[in-house]
Amino acid sequence: MLLGQQPKADLDINAKLMVTDLDVYYGAFQAIKRASLDVAENCVTALIGPSGCGKSTFIRALNRMHDLQADVRVEGEVVLDGEDIYAPGVDPVAIRHRIGMVFQRPNPFPKSIFENVVYGPRTHGQGNRKKLQEIAERSLRQAALWDEVKDRLDKSALELSGGQQQRLCIARCLAVDPEVLLMDEPASALDPIATSKIEDLIGELKKDYTVVIVTHSMQQAARISDFTAFFLMGELIEKGATRAIFTQPKDKRTEDYITGRYG
Amino acid sequence: MRRIADRIATFLLWTAAIGVLVLLAFFIGYIVYLGWHAISWHFLTSPPSEVDAGGGIGPEIYNSFYILILTLIFTAPIAIAGGIYLQEYARPGWFTNTVQFCAESLATIPSIVMGLFGLIVFVNLLGWRFSAIGGALTLTLLNLPALMRVTQEALASVPDSYREASMAIGATKWQTIRKVVLPSAIAQLTTGIVLIAGRIFGETAALVYTAGTSVSAGRSAYDLNPFHNAETLSVHLWYTHSESLVPDASAIGNGSALVLLAMVLLFNIAARVIGRTLTKRLTAT
Repeated sequence: MLLGQQPKADLDINAKLMVTDLDVYYGAFQAIKRASLDVAENCVTALIGPSGCGKSTFIRALNRMHDLQADVRVEGEVVLDGEDIYAPGVDPVAIRHRIGMVFQRPNPFPKSIFENVVYGPRTHGQGNRKKLQEIAERSLRQAALWDEVKDRLDKSALELSGGQQQRLCIARCLAVDPEVLLMDEPASALDPIATSKIEDLIGELKKDYTVVIVTHSMQQAARISDFTAFFLMGELIEKGATRAIFTQPKDKRTEDYITGRYG
Repeated sequence: MRRIADRIATFLLWTAAIGVLVLLAFFIGYIVYLGWHAISWHFLTSPPSEVDAGGGIGPEIYNSFYILILTLIFTAPIAIAGGIYLQEYARPGWFTNTVQFCAESLATIPSIVMGLFGLIVFVNLLGWRFSAIGGALTLTLLNLPALMRVTQEALASVPDSYREASMAIGATKWQTIRKVVLPSAIAQLTTGIVLIAGRIFGETAALVYTAGTSVSAGRSAYDLNPFHNAETLSVHLWYTHSESLVPDASAIGNGSALVLLAMVLLFNIAARVIGRTLTKRLTAT
């Protein structure tokens, strides 16, 4: 197992997001049971676990994406900088402005590359063409895509490769200046080269953003994350510094998963 | 044995397809063959005649388009708004089910029944007599469910991942619908609207008792007053063949049929062209 980046894990760090006793129900089925997790600011937190363990359900609760579906109920607290995002009166749209999300499959809009990137700022009222161009360039540079697309910003985003599309989606997310970036298996639909580009990118992004990433690849979690949380059947079994989780798991079930017994 | 079954199935399906094609080609060919001689500039532009031979269909063509446009003006906003509501906002429940059920029931009502309803409400109750607006409103009722369904299907064809992507960066639901969902659905929606326009253009039974079988009750045959009676091309086709006194009724009928067929064909081709153009324009900018 590679254990590359562990610089921040031992330091005392600010919690950007504090999740307390989170329950998520799909109808009568409880998909997340009493999960609590602090997400450290400017760090990468990886959520790992076998398929169906609830890690995607958990991450979607962090910016109220479950609101979009009928029949999903979320209980518990998710506190962003001291404010519970599930408190009555909180606007989920404003929350998603601060906590952006990148999905498993690249999902660019059927618009030009430029229009994809500036979609967020436009919806938030930025109409100045020059400003939008600045935002587009900055976001695309941050997503390490600028050099590949700068000459064809007006071409359809659907003409890009899968890996480029995913970086475009990351750029689109960064364009609204979120504080937290949620990534739900962002590299699982990509080839190894595109995957490693996304991983390098995540390493860069944590300087400016707080990143939470769901991954089914333990190697990926080990390579890119500072902290890791292990989920199994809707329960958060163990959490801590990535190095500690991978070298000295405290729970038997974590150890079984790490050593490949759940697949 | 399996190979023989496969061959037989292929043959039968192929025959069925060819059969439909041949039948269609025969109809079109026959209509063109009969109608060709009746078509002339005079026929296409002159008003119809009540008694003598030599009447045209100019006002009928005009009325067909006039009623079509009126109908679309009434139908499109309601149907599209309803479709958006049902597809994007409504959560499953008794209310949604009821609306859906009503729309489906409305869709199964025969057009002649709708026409008689229009006769009672618009012609008699409201006292509008035979009028373009009465006809258009009747056609609105008739086509509302279909257009609503077209809207729903167009919206349903937009992947949820677009909606998620938009919402996940802090767009509101309405922004998402307006800027992502509708532009992605517009091509299919337009195609659907144009196809329904073709249907409205050819509708007859619902108009006989609402828009009337006359074009010139003491006025110019071409005018914008929606309260004047307005016989359309398809109604004229029916009328000349069944009620009219003119000696050249069958020639007029044949000519009208050909014009009607050409128009409906044009709508279908237009639907494809517009759909394709919009898709290209909206996805590659």
